[in-house]
Amino acid sequence: MIPHAPILAIVLPLFAAFLMPVVGILARRRGIKRAREWFAIAAVLAELVIVMSMLPVVWGGQVLVYQLGGWSPPWGINLAIDGLNLLVAMIVSGISALVVIYSFVYMGRDHGLDQYYTLFLLILAGMMGVTLTGDIFNLYVFFEIMCISSYALVAFRRNWQSIEASIKYLIVGSLGTSFILLGIALLYGMVGSLNIAHLAQKLPLEPTSAIIVPLALFVTGFGIKIAMVPLHMWQPDAYQAAPSAVAALFSGATATVGIYAMVRVVYTLFGVFAIGIMLAALGLVTMVLGAFMALTQRDLKRLLAYSCISQIGYILLGLGLGTSLGIQGGLFHLFNNAIYKTMLFMIVGAIIYRVGTSNMDQLGGLWKNMPVTATLFGVGALAISGVPPFNGFASKWMIYVAGIEAGQAVFTIIALIMSALTLAYFLKAFNSIFLGQRPKHLSDVKETPLPMMFPIMLLAVLCIVFGVLPQLGIDIVRPAQEALMNSGGYIGAVLGGA
Amino acid sequence: MVSESVLFGPGFWGPIIATAAMLLIAAVGGLILLGGRRLTKAKPSAEKLKTYACGEELEASDIHADSEQFFSPIRRVFRPFYRYIRPAHTGDLSTYLFWVVVGLIIILVSIALAIGVG
Amino acid sequence: MDFNYTIAMLLVALGLYCLLLKRNLIKLIIGLAVLTDGIHLLLISLGYRTGGIAAIVSGEMFSDLPGFAARAVDPVPQALVLTSIVINICIVAFALSLTIYAYRHYGTLDPSKLRRLKE
Repeated sequence: MIPHAPILAIVLPLFAAFLMPVVGILARRRGIKRAREWFAIAAVLAELVIVMSMLPVVWGGQVLVYQLGGWSPPWGINLAIDGLNLLVAMIVSGISALVVIYSFVYMGRDHGLDQYYTLFLLILAGMMGVTLTGDIFNLYVFFEIMCISSYALVAFRRNWQSIEASIKYLIVGSLGTSFILLGIALLYGMVGSLNIAHLAQKLPLEPTSAIIVPLALFVTGFGIKIAMVPLHMWQPDAYQAAPSAVAALFSGATATVGIYAMVRVVYTLFGVFAIGIMLAALGLVTMVLGAFMALTQRDLKRLLAYSCISQIGYILLGLGLGTSLGIQGGLFHLFNNAIYKTMLFMIVGAIIYRVGTSNMDQLGGLWKNMPVTATLFGVGALAISGVPPFNGFASKWMIYVAGIEAGQAVFTIIALIMSALTLAYFLKAFNSIFLGQRPKHLSDVKETPLPMMFPIMLLAVLCIVFGVLPQLGIDIVRPAQEALMNSGGYIGAVLGGA
Repeated sequence: MVSESVLFGPGFWGPIIATAAMLLIAAVGGLILLGGRRLTKAKPSAEKLKTYACGEELEASDIHADSEQFFSPIRRVFRPFYRYIRPAHTGDLSTYLFWVVVGLIIILVSIALAIGVG
Repeated sequence: MDFNYTIAMLLVALGLYCLLLKRNLIKLIIGLAVLTDGIHLLLISLGYRTGGIAAIVSGEMFSDLPGFAARAVDPVPQALVLTSIVINICIVAFALSLTIYAYRHYGTLDPSKLRRLKE
């Protein structure tokens, strides 16, 4: 492990973010081309290396506790990393690295790229902070950093759609974070501590009726970020209006962080597995509504946004079942969802880059122009619909089996039907974009440029690898599931000062 | 092969076997397609390529299935569902905020029920 | 002290009322600020102690630690509120700048007119 890796993982993107404007100015003075892009790629790859260096220690079964300023846990702020934190950190840094590489060409036509990369590294710092911290208020602060940078990223192009979407996102999102702050205030008033492990130790001593309000505030606050029905309405607007690279980052990384925060607070901090069934039921509603709304969309990005809502429903269903197989399936689906959802948004970005629109009524017959892109879109569509041998099948299968084993066969049946609907709306998307008659003005559209194709291909390969060898994915996810179900170990490791 | 397959309770999924089987079936399908190739020569004429649109003259490139119509049968079946759901997605910020508060109340009540107080 | 909590909850309720029923973007942002200020008041009241002293390391602290702990106000909520105020300023400033852009694009501040993205 790199020494001080936990704090480096947060500080590195934060410093890189504030160095970015300087790099931009220097590059303009000296006439160096693409300096900002290379700097961002270097920073994000370094981040990935730092996160990966923690892998052997954490998978060895140890909970990494890093005390800031040498203060021991209940008093000082600490970073605590167990299997779950590390899984999310891996997803976040991996997806961010691919999206930065993708942005190299995709954002090349935009102005003000200094700001874009600054915000990008800031959102990465925020996500890493939320993921690695062991202190609930610290989590709130990083969550706000993440949210504010994401509002700004949505508004990046400053045309009417992005401004409108960003305002809606900002007001709804800030209401959500206010709920989280209120929840933290109530918890502090009740227990007098802000450390997650310490809170988890002390909360069972409180009367159960006292935790209802803070818990509901937390679930609502994080539920807004992950677009749980009925708190989802900002999301299609934001994803449609944001640049595709940003939408890819949101759907892959930010949603993952939101789920992590929700699960950590509900299962570790409050330790209430009893409300899992509520999460599963809400997940079911989320899944059904997302799939039905996706069916009627005309805009490809909006369709993907609704499908994102639907997939979050699957993850919540798996995690909410609360059995070890269900949680494993939910986390595996979280991992897979990050892979194929990012990939699909990147493909939409490639189409927008070449054609200029994502309105499905104006597209058609692009199969002849972009055969590789079309194939990759097919892989993504089949993976997300849970068709073997792609990765979506493996994780959905685990969730189905977990549903039946937990005695909730109805959940499984509905989830199966929704899976078929997913295939239906992706067939529609595939048909309207790549098949059918090609409008005349699209006849000289070229294939996706290679630097943009590279991350998409990598993700497609991952889709197939984790589909053909699901055991590999399950092995990656298992430490996270064990960590999530062993909150006693987490508390002991943090408070024991180990 | 069991070590590479995954056991899920009573079921079992051998991804490598399944993938091999799918590839094999795809190959067989390809062979059948090859066997069913066209024998007579295609003789396209302008008249044959024309799309019938009630006597209207249409360029082939102008014809495009409207994505709105693609799943109109499904939408017709689930019309009651859409009647309640679609009006809620108006794009109006006040509606969004209203639903956030409703969501908070729903979550509050269901947590109270699940924990067993109230 | 109960008075403080009542006012805090009143501010939160007022903020929510403003967010739900006002039809002007600037009023919505004011509502958001009022709501957060209510939460700040709640937090600061949690650690407040009438006639308490500031929790600053001094000679007095080391000579009589239990007595100091009994009289000092809780410094943690103050740190939290300070952080949260800074965050809230960020949000309000950003929201207002977005509002300026929205007015340029749409010519109105009515959020129910900002609905070209829908369904």
